[in-house]
Amino acid sequence: MIAKASSWLLRKKWILAGVGVPVLILAWWEFRPEKLWINQRVSEPAPFASSSDSQPLYTGLLTGKAHPTSGRASIYQVGDGKRDLRLTDFTTSNGPDVHVLLAQSTDQNLSKTFVKGELDDVELGSLKANQGDQNYDLPDSVDLGKYDAVVIYCERFHVVFGLAKLERF
Amino acid sequence: MIRAIKIAAVFAALAVALGLQPSLYAQDNMKHENGLKTLETGTFHGQVHKTSGRATIYKEDDGRLVLRLTNFKTSNGPDVHVILIAATDANDDANFLKSNTQRVELGKLKGNEGDQNYEIPAGTDLARFQTVSIYCERFNANFGAAPLEKF
Repeated sequence: MIAKASSWLLRKKWILAGVGVPVLILAWWEFRPEKLWINQRVSEPAPFASSSDSQPLYTGLLTGKAHPTSGRASIYQVGDGKRDLRLTDFTTSNGPDVHVLLAQSTDQNLSKTFVKGELDDVELGSLKANQGDQNYDLPDSVDLGKYDAVVIYCERFHVVFGLAKLERF
Repeated sequence: MIRAIKIAAVFAALAVALGLQPSLYAQDNMKHENGLKTLETGTFHGQVHKTSGRATIYKEDDGRLVLRLTNFKTSNGPDVHVILIAATDANDDANFLKSNTQRVELGKLKGNEGDQNYEIPAGTDLARFQTVSIYCERFNANFGAAPLEKF
């Protein structure tokens, strides 16, 4: 019986190979399983000549908390180690004693009202205007890996008007 | 006489109100890349085929649009393309063929890792094509999507 089966296999093996090999090749071409562990890395230059012009480092969209706030917050490298924060398409409520701060996005204080001393923050100055594009200088030593949120904070009423989580540009 | 004083008082009150009004616009211009404008940007999300990084659309001074991927990473796969889709976002493994989503082909993915640029065909309406997708043509599967927002 066994001998009979093996002889059948022997006779048909060319047919099996003729069907099996193309099927295997087709399956390989379809799924390209080797790509699961082979990476293809590219590193094209930016479409502009990287120069002394300011380059964005981080960016994020502002969302309203206590007051409707919108726009974009971006951190730029402005040559010779200086960085600044730029708000664009910016709108928030007008209010008394409003400040721009950098804080840690994970800080629990940000989800409630808090006195400024309770927050681990970097003060960037009073909000220059409640609408429009505006720049704020960053102190040289700020660690943006740690302070990864821009906060529009009303000091008089201890509330967060708006918040932007910064992500690498 | 009294009428004139009343009118004067109204004008004075108006002047004071206008004078106290906070300046609504603080405009200052910051120099940007030479002739190159950043139009839109967004970050990739995709769990099934772990996709991450940033997609940014630049406009060159001659009007050409360029899509640039930075800090980019996705799965390697067969026949993967970069496309723009007429949607505000896309779910993992979305099948654009089945959902009849309109798309603009930008070319084959040059590498599954690293910074790379793709030219966007002239006349592409970015107001309609709002999302970048890394799309596996062979399996009609969306590896990852980046919804774009104005920069």
